Amino acid sequence: MVLDLTMSMAVLALLGALATIAGCLEDLESDVGSQSNPNSQVQLAPQMGFLHRIFNKAISGEPISNGMSAVIGGTVTTVLLSQKFYPLTAIVIGAFIGAIILGIFATTSYAGRVASQTRFKQPLYMDIMRYTTPTIIGHNFIMNFCLVAIAYIQFEVLGYPFTIPFLALIWGISVGAIGSSVGDVHYGGEREFQNREFGCGLNTALSGRIVRKAESGLRNSIDNVWFCAKFGGPATGIALGLTVFFSSWPTTLFGYTWTAIGIGVLIVAVLTIMNRLIELNVRHAYGPYKEEKNEKEAKA
Amino acid sequence: MVAIDPTLLTNIFLIGLSGTLVCLAVHFIPVGGAPAAMAQATGIGTGTVELAAGSGLVGLITASYMYAYEPLADIPLVMAAGAMGSMVMLASTMFAGSLIYAYGVAVPFASAQVKKDPITGDRQDLYISKGTQGQGIPTICFVSGVVGAALGGAGGGLIYFVLMDLYKPLLSMTSAFAVAGVFTMGVMYVNSVIPSYGVGGTIEGVHDPKFRRVVGKDVITSFFVSILCGLLAVLIAGGMSV
Repeated sequence: MVLDLTMSMAVLALLGALATIAGCLEDLESDVGSQSNPNSQVQLAPQMGFLHRIFNKAISGEPISNGMSAVIGGTVTTVLLSQKFYPLTAIVIGAFIGAIILGIFATTSYAGRVASQTRFKQPLYMDIMRYTTPTIIGHNFIMNFCLVAIAYIQFEVLGYPFTIPFLALIWGISVGAIGSSVGDVHYGGEREFQNREFGCGLNTALSGRIVRKAESGLRNSIDNVWFCAKFGGPATGIALGLTVFFSSWPTTLFGYTWTAIGIGVLIVAVLTIMNRLIELNVRHAYGPYKEEKNEKEAKA
Repeated sequence: MVAIDPTLLTNIFLIGLSGTLVCLAVHFIPVGGAPAAMAQATGIGTGTVELAAGSGLVGLITASYMYAYEPLADIPLVMAAGAMGSMVMLASTMFAGSLIYAYGVAVPFASAQVKKDPITGDRQDLYISKGTQGQGIPTICFVSGVVGAALGGAGGGLIYFVLMDLYKPLLSMTSAFAVAGVFTMGVMYVNSVIPSYGVGGTIEGVHDPKFRRVVGKDVITSFFVSILCGLLAVLIAGGMSV
């Protein structure tokens, strides 16, 4: 252990906070740019005759594109640190360059994807590209900043064996995996099909029939990120924050022992019980959607 | 002559074994792919490779930290550290995902593959909404996912341990950490992709009939591919010593 217990806990708390912000902003960036699995509906909509004004990027799978921007940020930061830059300046510049490169990919991806849909008459809206791209870059910059800062703290302060770019890459991939698993469900399962009754489930026959009208005027990606920032983003942040905090907390407190591993398993058991409580709660709130056969017969 | 040394052969075998563990792990993780992201299928709403690699890499961070700071850490402890990191990542992700399914999308959790949850005994078929293949993360999927993450993290920890022992005498510590880390990541990705073909992109976990149908073939394939990766790792080390 490099630091004493109090400082270690303080650093761990800082890492948890940074991870929470990174997770939240990662998901919001994927919502405003419409990336990952829910984007299949945005891509499908014009083919079903539903033309829309939603940004459509999906550069690659979410973990890979976030890993790419984070590792670029980490690499530039390492180069600047070797040139005796002040760490905060180096991280900011590194994160900004990573975000700009993601922004370039976003514009080419949007233009390319819409161009491939010419036969379905989906227009390429230049105003959407003009004001959504800087929003994507802005969200990605904050995520990069947090992830590179985590990597910097882990490497320089806590003495992790991996270098800053590699740690940034791993956290970029992990945050993408979490964002894709958590926050995107809020975008894909709720926001894209918001005209359905809450709690009725989502029939596969609705595929591609996304909501195109906003609270006022036609819906665009900025409207989507406004909605997802209320729940999907923060939930993703909580997931990454818990991951970063609880993957290090047992070893910080109990050292590198089997006791620490046991505490880790205990945390997982608690999360399993909490999941079960949610399951019970939600089963009472919604459904069942079908009646049992003998019940039906009894009623008849 | 490098490959006939018994220690090196053991190393190759251990890398083969750890890759197989990662491959086996993917079958346990409830991955619903794009349909799950729209709450139209049971499981986590992302791809197998993304999730398995994402959780395995968090395990790699915890395993590497354990290896670096506990001089007496043996293989089981490093593997357990990897398993713990992966389990925490996947459990946190599934828990937060459940929050979204429950209160953001508002669907009860239901598996389409079993009539009753083998752990809780709850009826599943009545809670599947019309036109879907189940939704959310029921308890059996959650537990199966945690077990899968533990296997994947342990596999990652094992690869890392073996590679560090291989590269440490040949490189500076920083370089050895980097090469072993990147190679571990590569082996994880290879073994996350192999099961994707078998499961066809989605699987609910250990209770899914698909599990029994494909796991044997995938594990054998993965073992041989991982042995190839191990051979490559040893050949690279041979180049370093020149």
